[in-house]
Amino acid sequence: MTREFKNKVREQFGRAADGYIHDKGFATGDDLEMMVRLLQPMPDDNMLDVACGGGHTALRFSPLVRSVVASDLTMVMLKKAQEYISEEGGVDNITFREADAEDLPFPAGAFTLLTCRVAPHHFPDVARALSEFHRVLRRGGRIAIVDTVLPNDPEIAEWYQAMEKMRDPTHIQAYTETAWREMVQEAGFILHETVVIPKTHDFPTWAKRAGLNRDGMAKLNKFFVDAPDKVQDYFQIETFAGEVEAYTDRKLLIHASRPPKK
Amino acid sequence: MTLSQQLLEILACPQCKGVVVTDEQHRQIICKACRLAYPIRDDIPVMLIDEAVRL
Repeated sequence: MTREFKNKVREQFGRAADGYIHDKGFATGDDLEMMVRLLQPMPDDNMLDVACGGGHTALRFSPLVRSVVASDLTMVMLKKAQEYISEEGGVDNITFREADAEDLPFPAGAFTLLTCRVAPHHFPDVARALSEFHRVLRRGGRIAIVDTVLPNDPEIAEWYQAMEKMRDPTHIQAYTETAWREMVQEAGFILHETVVIPKTHDFPTWAKRAGLNRDGMAKLNKFFVDAPDKVQDYFQIETFAGEVEAYTDRKLLIHASRPPKK
Repeated sequence: MTLSQQLLEILACPQCKGVVVTDEQHRQIICKACRLAYPIRDDIPVMLIDEAVRL
């Protein structure tokens, strides 16, 4: 990851940290519960949560596993997550590390469980991050990745990419389900299943969370209102009197594991 | 060994992936092979190659 881009990510998430910590969609959510159900965390699991953001995934898993290491590129985010988790209380098995997903500071085979939730679209080199996930996971270790899936229709995909970049300059690239399946298998994982989970966003909350000002909000609102019909249908864009109220995207959950020792 | 000590053991140099040691006195984590010192800020190790100080 280049230093310049890294600083951009830090600036973006440093500014928006509070919004992420207190966001209900991140604190709970069907994708998080599905992760728990598929990974079946065990009391002797040592877990790594990459790009932990507000710490919600780490907090959800912590009572179910032995330990959780939560890593993120942004120190402000880590501190807020640490604060949030200590306020929630009763958790003493989560530790925080400032780390780059593409250069993880952990020895090979250090973890039995790895999660990465709604973050890979910020990674400049997803293949490199996946190869790092593979390295730090013990043989037989399980992994779950969640990210917004890129629509298969090129026109809808192009609109989506442009929209995300308009909202958040650190958005790099979302991938289709097919691309994800290929990347995960190329990194050496056994792919168990993928699940698509719709997620409805309250537009004002979602747009503000990225730190947009009034002009930015107006521009993004117009981009949604002017979207072609098939985009409106795909994202189920809901408007009232010219204002976007909500839209629904699709999260892809990828459940895989590192092959066991032969 | 306490859990926090064990967790500190789950740490490697992000550059060479080798063993690191804690320098309690200077609140930093050192990779002797790469001759890099990673700072610890507010009890959080900053394990970023760009942020490390060359020894």
